[in-house]
Amino acid sequence: VATSGAEPEAEGGRGAGAGGARGSEPQEEPPPPLQAVLVADSFNRRFFPISKDRPRALLPMANVAMIDYTLEFLTATGVEETFVFCCWKSAEIKEHLQRSKWCRHTSPNTVRFVTSDLYRSLGDVLRDVDAKSLVRSDFILVTGDVVSNLNVSRALEEHKLRRKMEKNVSVMTMIFKESSPGHHARCKEDDIVIAMDSATNRVLHYQRTQGLKRFRFPMSLFQNSIENVEVRHDLLDCHISICSPQVSSAHQRILNSIGVASLILGNQIHMHVTTEEYGAHICNLLMYEAVCSDIIRRWVYPLTPEMNFTDDKNQSYTHSKHNIYRGVDVSLGHGSMLKENVLIGQGTVIGSNCSIMNSVIGQNCRIGNEVMLDGAFLWDGVHIADNVQIQHSVICDEVEVKEKVKLKPHCVLSSQVVVGPDITLSEGTVISLHPPDEEEEDDDQFSDDSGVNKEESKVKLKGYNKKDVGSEGRGYLWKADDKNEDDEEQRQSLWGPAMLSEEESESDSDLSMGSEEPDSRAASPQLDDIKVFQNEVLGTLQRGEEENISCDNLVLEINSLKYAYNISLSEMMQVLSKVILEFPLQQLDANLDSQNYFSALLPLLKNWTPLFKNYIKRSSDHLNALFAIEEFFLEHDSLCTSIAKVLMTFYQLEILEEDVILNWFSLRDTSDKGKQLRKNQRLQKFIQWLEEAEEESSDGDQD
Amino acid sequence: MEFQAVVMAAGGGSRMTDLTSSIPKPLLPVGNRPLLWYPLNLLERAGFEEVIVITRKEIQKMLNLDTKMKLDFVYISDNVDMGTADSLRHIHQKIKTDVLVLSCDLITDVDLYKVVDLFRTHDATLSMLMKKAHEPTEVAPGQKGKKKPVEQRDFIGVDDTGKRLLFMANEADLDEELVIKRSILQKHPRMHIRTGLMDAHLYCLKKYVVDFLVENRTITSLRSELIPHLVRKQFSVPTSLQQGVDNKDEGRKKKEQASLDIYSFIKEDNSLLKPAPDNSCWNDHRGDMNETLHEGKVRCYVHIMKEGLCCRVNTLALYIEANRQVPKLLLNLGLEEPLVHGTAQITDRGMVGSDSIIGSSTQIGEKTSIKHSIIGSACTIKDKVKITNCIIMNSVTIEEGCCLQGSVICNNAVIEKGADIKDCLIGSDQRLETKAKHVNEVIVGTEQLMEI
Repeated sequence: VATSGAEPEAEGGRGAGAGGARGSEPQEEPPPPLQAVLVADSFNRRFFPISKDRPRALLPMANVAMIDYTLEFLTATGVEETFVFCCWKSAEIKEHLQRSKWCRHTSPNTVRFVTSDLYRSLGDVLRDVDAKSLVRSDFILVTGDVVSNLNVSRALEEHKLRRKMEKNVSVMTMIFKESSPGHHARCKEDDIVIAMDSATNRVLHYQRTQGLKRFRFPMSLFQNSIENVEVRHDLLDCHISICSPQVSSAHQRILNSIGVASLILGNQIHMHVTTEEYGAHICNLLMYEAVCSDIIRRWVYPLTPEMNFTDDKNQSYTHSKHNIYRGVDVSLGHGSMLKENVLIGQGTVIGSNCSIMNSVIGQNCRIGNEVMLDGAFLWDGVHIADNVQIQHSVICDEVEVKEKVKLKPHCVLSSQVVVGPDITLSEGTVISLHPPDEEEEDDDQFSDDSGVNKEESKVKLKGYNKKDVGSEGRGYLWKADDKNEDDEEQRQSLWGPAMLSEEESESDSDLSMGSEEPDSRAASPQLDDIKVFQNEVLGTLQRGEEENISCDNLVLEINSLKYAYNISLSEMMQVLSKVILEFPLQQLDANLDSQNYFSALLPLLKNWTPLFKNYIKRSSDHLNALFAIEEFFLEHDSLCTSIAKVLMTFYQLEILEEDVILNWFSLRDTSDKGKQLRKNQRLQKFIQWLEEAEEESSDGDQD
Repeated sequence: MEFQAVVMAAGGGSRMTDLTSSIPKPLLPVGNRPLLWYPLNLLERAGFEEVIVITRKEIQKMLNLDTKMKLDFVYISDNVDMGTADSLRHIHQKIKTDVLVLSCDLITDVDLYKVVDLFRTHDATLSMLMKKAHEPTEVAPGQKGKKKPVEQRDFIGVDDTGKRLLFMANEADLDEELVIKRSILQKHPRMHIRTGLMDAHLYCLKKYVVDFLVENRTITSLRSELIPHLVRKQFSVPTSLQQGVDNKDEGRKKKEQASLDIYSFIKEDNSLLKPAPDNSCWNDHRGDMNETLHEGKVRCYVHIMKEGLCCRVNTLALYIEANRQVPKLLLNLGLEEPLVHGTAQITDRGMVGSDSIIGSSTQIGEKTSIKHSIIGSACTIKDKVKITNCIIMNSVTIEEGCCLQGSVICNNAVIEKGADIKDCLIGSDQRLETKAKHVNEVIVGTEQLMEI
């Protein structure tokens, strides 16, 4: 791993700069207060349509918002200053926190808000942390959906010790919870396998295992210097990490959008494993369900419902045996049974002859007679009529469920939906007041959402489908369990990967290794990687342009991205060419005419020549770049006329060689469109000119 | 003892031909004893009374061992090239119980019970012995520079207790990546991947493995074929179970295959044990609610020695190393025989180091110093000779004023006056001229002076 010579040096310099103040006055100053960065946005849409109404960080877990658990964890572990980064629905998060105990002046943990609508990934946030120089020392990085009772002080000590011993090589300590395969809080989606150096706790390899039957470890892990490489499949990533200040400085380490650091270059990532304490990250509804029931079963002690750690007077509960928690003014009708693991919020009224187990019921709910709830998560103000059966489903705020409705497992009713009466919702039904297709109108792929207010009017336009929601129902079906592929995707994202029975050990009856099946790695994540990578490169270049960052630094940053997303050199070339060619369109105006486009592109190309030169080395790279250029111009017909000029510029800047251009031009096996492109007058002229120039030069050689 | 012991002593020592061209490998003297003595002694110490020795006829003729055990020699004809698995198959009729197979080139002070107990406690299919390989400290004669051993590394995966053998692969079979099946990690979520371990070639095998070998004639080697196969089989489904799902059209073909599957050789043990898992509330895994035992019927275990002596004599460097280690081992064994034989005539006792071994009827002259060396029987060493770190076999004559360092000198060699030899291998019946000077050479054939 320790290959790059230049990179660690660059870091060392940075690190020394950042820690210079500490170095010069040893031990006299008390250690700086522990800081934390809390990212209250997931940068994905996993909780749609629920998170259309409420940001993920505010989803109630056992009637307390997720972010409160995260803040309580941070405070309990000794954090004195927390920066909350919000993006999607930041106002709501801010309002919630300002009302909470964290913003009282007695709070030991000072909460500061950083809001921007521009964050698109964790990388953006960390860049901003660095740009604003918010952190002074090692800090804790968490997302706003972590529930934990961990004490990080030991991990922090280990982290600091390592950084002292190894001169800032270690940039990050990730915290894992030990949990065996098959544990209910292990979701398939976040399932990982890790290779570590058991002597130093250094993470050597981190891989998501979803859909893999075989795990592959590069041979480079097993160097002689590491005596004992341990492969671990019993860990749960808590998404809590201790980072060094360098982690956020832009060009060194880019974390990908999920919070997993890429293991690259001279940097090292270490790990800390906890066995006794609790830590989990809610990434989908399955995890939501699992963690909720863990809270009620008191695994997250001392964060139990009756502790009322949020110090909210509406949240006081009494705890009785079988883990039954009741709020103030709860009334329970005659013959109703609270079997076990039930939490009932303040002011809720339950009718007679109900049977409730493993469920959470919010505040001020009305529940009729003869209702069966098993594994139901009811938020506040839910109305449930008589004879309703609900299993393993999430019912959001102010939903109304009419008589004789049956909800099969894994249904979601997002806020203010009405269903019924007398209807059965099949397994995995999702109903929301937001029509599902409005999603596509969002131009913004990477934020949780934008443009929420538009749909109000549309709701009125479209009628509700009575078949889906019942005769008095209100809401749109987000997915049916079958047919549509998009719906399948939806199911996957909300509840996590479908809970198929575990693919058991496969056969290998032959003696030879040759009988092993072909690799079943899915191709799609790969494509996504390239897409994300492209966006990251674009972001990097944009910043480079704005802040005038030198090409060397850009190269460093792009390199680390390249490793992070495991991009091959040829892909790299195509992405880079594409991004740069699209750059003027992105920056200025999508409808530039070819004249203006070229004049906008020219200075950029000149600026970034070293960038190209760094990556274009072999002739295949030249060709790849040319293909990308061709593709770009095929996609943008209107700009076609400037292709000759662009190629000319590439040639003059000595990025592309004439041989390769000629070679490319004469390629036969192109599409019709490609042929059309080659017929372009100016391009032909340019090629002619090139050919002549070559003849001349070869003539010259002969003389 | 519920084991039958089998010692494989038919190998030719193909990786140290300079030595074995004149002396067959099982007879190579290590600490003045033939190599074969060591595994036999190991077995004797563990209480074995009978041992099957697979060897070649001419070796047995030359062999002269003092052991109380009953040795059952099985010969393999010289012109057949038989692998270790072939040899085991060859004697399968003699095998009535589980077997303990070991190679003749193993010198170890391991407590054999540790390996056997693993086998017993876990009702294992296989248990074996490994030791962290040590880097050769000194260069072997004829080796230019510090040549790194080009040998392919083995990757061994063991579970958290360090006993269960989960994974085994050789670098040669792998491309860029090490591939581990999910099903293994599902059952054993923590796996330690170890490299740099040396396989001692000591295996406890169930009887049914031998039966399996008899049917599967394609397997020729224990180490490179059978053992990896068993390790892999731990986590696969028996073909007989798969068959239920398969179409019956191919039934016949499948049946033939099934008969070759290791699972079909596993005898169902007594019926009392069967309901036990269902009736117990104990299970052997954490986190899920699956059945009590998710272990397959094939289980492989390994005992990894942390300390102690364990070496395999299969190269010249290891031969020298083994000789260096052996005096300590012999002392620890508490044999009655002293390191310096009673019939040896030594003029200056004080000049002989305490860790040197001197054979019977050897004569050592005045002012001759011997350090860290092993000298065979019936040698004649004259005055003022300096011998350090050497192995001198039988009936060697070393004349006055010689200086020998780090060398191996085979039977009947004669070193004339004043020779200076460092890091050399001198073959049998060689004669080095007066004042000859050799450094790092292999001198074997009569005329040929091999320069490597």
